Amino acid sequence: MKNEQDGGRTKEKETSAAVDSAGTSVEVWEKVKIKLNEYLSADAFSRWFKSAELIEDDERGPAVIGVNSDMQQIWIETNYMDEVRAAFAEGAGIHTQAFIRVLGEEVAPSVKKVARGSASVSEQVKVVKQDEESPKTVALERKLKKMGINPEFNFESFVVGDNSQFAHAACSAVASGEGRSFNPLFIHGRAGLGKTHLMSSIAQQLLISEPKAKVVFLTAEQFANEFIDAVRKGNLDSFRKSYRTADIMLIDDIQFLAGKERTQDEFFHTFSGLLNTRTQLVLTCDRPAHEIQQLEPRLVSRFESGLTVELQTPGFETRVAILQRKMEQWNVVLEDEVIFHIANLIQSNVRRLEGALTRVASFSFLSSEEMTIAKVDDLLRDLIRDENSRQITIDAIQKAICEQYDLSLADMSSRRRPSSIAFPRQIAMALSRQLTNHSLVEIGEAFGRRDHGTVIHACKRVEQEIEVNTEVKAVVEKLIAVLQR
Amino acid sequence: MKFQIAKEAFLDGLQQVQHVVSSRTTLPILSNVLIEASDSGLRLTTTDLDVGVSGTAEAEVSKTGSTTLPVKRLVNIIRELPSAEVEVSVDSKNIASIKSGPSFFKIIGLPDTEFPPLADFQDAKEYQIPQNLLRDGLKKTSYAISTDETRYVLNGIFTSFKEGKLTLVATDGRRLAMVDNDLEFPASHETDFIIPTKAVQELQRLLNSEGDLTLRLSDNQVCFEIGSSIIVSKLIEGNYPNYRQVIPAETKERLTVGREALLETVRRVSLLSSEKSNSVKLSFGANELGVAANSPDIGEANESVEVKYDGKEFAIAFNPDFLQAPLRALDDENVHLDLIDEMSPGVLRTEDAFLYVLMPMRVTS
Repeated sequence: MKNEQDGGRTKEKETSAAVDSAGTSVEVWEKVKIKLNEYLSADAFSRWFKSAELIEDDERGPAVIGVNSDMQQIWIETNYMDEVRAAFAEGAGIHTQAFIRVLGEEVAPSVKKVARGSASVSEQVKVVKQDEESPKTVALERKLKKMGINPEFNFESFVVGDNSQFAHAACSAVASGEGRSFNPLFIHGRAGLGKTHLMSSIAQQLLISEPKAKVVFLTAEQFANEFIDAVRKGNLDSFRKSYRTADIMLIDDIQFLAGKERTQDEFFHTFSGLLNTRTQLVLTCDRPAHEIQQLEPRLVSRFESGLTVELQTPGFETRVAILQRKMEQWNVVLEDEVIFHIANLIQSNVRRLEGALTRVASFSFLSSEEMTIAKVDDLLRDLIRDENSRQITIDAIQKAICEQYDLSLADMSSRRRPSSIAFPRQIAMALSRQLTNHSLVEIGEAFGRRDHGTVIHACKRVEQEIEVNTEVKAVVEKLIAVLQR
Repeated sequence: MKFQIAKEAFLDGLQQVQHVVSSRTTLPILSNVLIEASDSGLRLTTTDLDVGVSGTAEAEVSKTGSTTLPVKRLVNIIRELPSAEVEVSVDSKNIASIKSGPSFFKIIGLPDTEFPPLADFQDAKEYQIPQNLLRDGLKKTSYAISTDETRYVLNGIFTSFKEGKLTLVATDGRRLAMVDNDLEFPASHETDFIIPTKAVQELQRLLNSEGDLTLRLSDNQVCFEIGSSIIVSKLIEGNYPNYRQVIPAETKERLTVGREALLETVRRVSLLSSEKSNSVKLSFGANELGVAANSPDIGEANESVEVKYDGKEFAIAFNPDFLQAPLRALDDENVHLDLIDEMSPGVLRTEDAFLYVLMPMRVTS
């Protein structure tokens, strides 16, 4: 037994480099099982893993282990995930996230959960879904799930408005292979505006047109974690190989790399390697590349070397269109007046807009009451409050500062700089940076056409001051509280 | 509507039903209690659309009728009233006047027609269960219910009427508690379903040690009639996983220990377990059980308990809370702990049909 494992290990060294291409899932799984048998007691192994299978692991992406019962899934997920991960790494040299699925139920009823608590909604949604599902899409869906892509995120379900037209066009060009010069494609925009949706659409479109394409889709956080794991286990080689052989690489939330130097370094090499071989890269970020703090300048310049597109907050018409699309999907009918009202209330974030619609729609199912404007206000109370607090303007900040320090508004944009004016002005800039989504340049503009460097300096100065001077700290905290209500 | 009622009786009745009302409800009517006054007294009902509770209170009704009033506020008012007698009258606009001694309150209610009616259980399957049997069963299992909402089928107690037995099961993936009891019911009534946590909590509040309760079951709802009180609840939709898979078939070692002694020892020793190393280590020797905990940056504790044991020497670690929970809920003098090895789940059993499977923690020594 012992010998066999050692034998297995040396053999694995030879094959590990070729695992991605040559190692069949049966071989991989056998190796993993040997390791698992070692880690677990005999009883636990035979009870939970003996009958389990590895459902195809041909491509990079999370491994999916198939089991026969719900209980196996639950028990493995709660108790043995560490062992499974270790067994994949040690046994087969694969660093991957593993998922446990119950065989015979390929499509998890994800839609059902949205509508839980309202039987009528879920039934209708289910009917719609079944119509769409042909065997082919089931296979695709499974593949997408395995890669961590939400199958509902495709180009068809994306509502295009003025705010997103350019981004949408660029993404479809990339997905159809016309956009080779848009490399890398850098999508930025605030949370909940559809960055991940667009990126998932690219991956999905590509997989439909070229099912064999090697698509790497992950978040920057996953990249960092896998990198750390690889460093710890000392198999950087297979880590690099697995990424540098991709046909297209899509990375979500790249801002996560900020401040992680070694990961940035590794990422830089992967990134340059892929760019040099003209592999398509797509990145998303919650702000423009040059505004990511603590990101190496060479990465910033590379991110900006391709096409940068921005997703802006949708206008009223687009918001209404999004709501209507969602209602169609869920088979919900609400009066126009109500829809307009919701679109008016929630302006900054599409995800939240959908959340609001879910709430209103399921409520109108549950109660027989007529849905009125007042009712909507009541239902969305907390969202509205949040929404209002989000919209702090530079003007409001300037006003608050002037009140606090007894200055005139003109002082905010004047060139005068005695410290009695300059320091409050710096606080105002720092707060604008912190509380609004304006760029450094825009903030500089608002403070008497100052340079963005001045704004950066102001932020640093205030930060330092807060650390050493408790009085300043108290004032700033009070101002933030006042501004956020 | 008009009635006179003893303050304590009114308060008891309201407190029985007020727990299902959530403070953050979007439907105002759901914060209210439905009060129906008839010649036989008051019936008080609350619901959150998932679970509904209804109870009675004795009152002298001079004018029958019904209304709904905000229950939390009403309870606070009644509790503070100065006199032992309360007089309540409600006008046609659902405005209630409450008089007690020198104090007078007027509170605004909502019409009873808005109150969602509790489900109807005509032609439902019917079961008779001794109250103490269900009460003990719930007590011995409910602590193991999962609170992980992504696995919502586990957010309740699996209740099975099969082969002349009532079986209750709860699990959260790390532990599983099960109680099996003989019970008579018609063979055509064999079934199983999942009672959600909230209904379990309400049940535990209302169950007594004597008498029977009637359980009625329709397609997706269940109703418990306990004396004059009623609990109606939606069932959790979905299939409960096959819990039998978790129960180890073989056991190698058996240890018998006094329940109280083990509970107290674990409780004391676990004072020295920390969030980081939240485990107690049990080491087995001849007729002795050592319980130890240590946290690198806090300190350590150990204690030994006298037990009946003649198996091999070995050690196993458990989460102290998970180990204490069943010990607290049981009332037997002794419990048996069946084990295989340090990596396999331990099974806690009593003489009657209680069983608790607990996953060990990895010991890093």
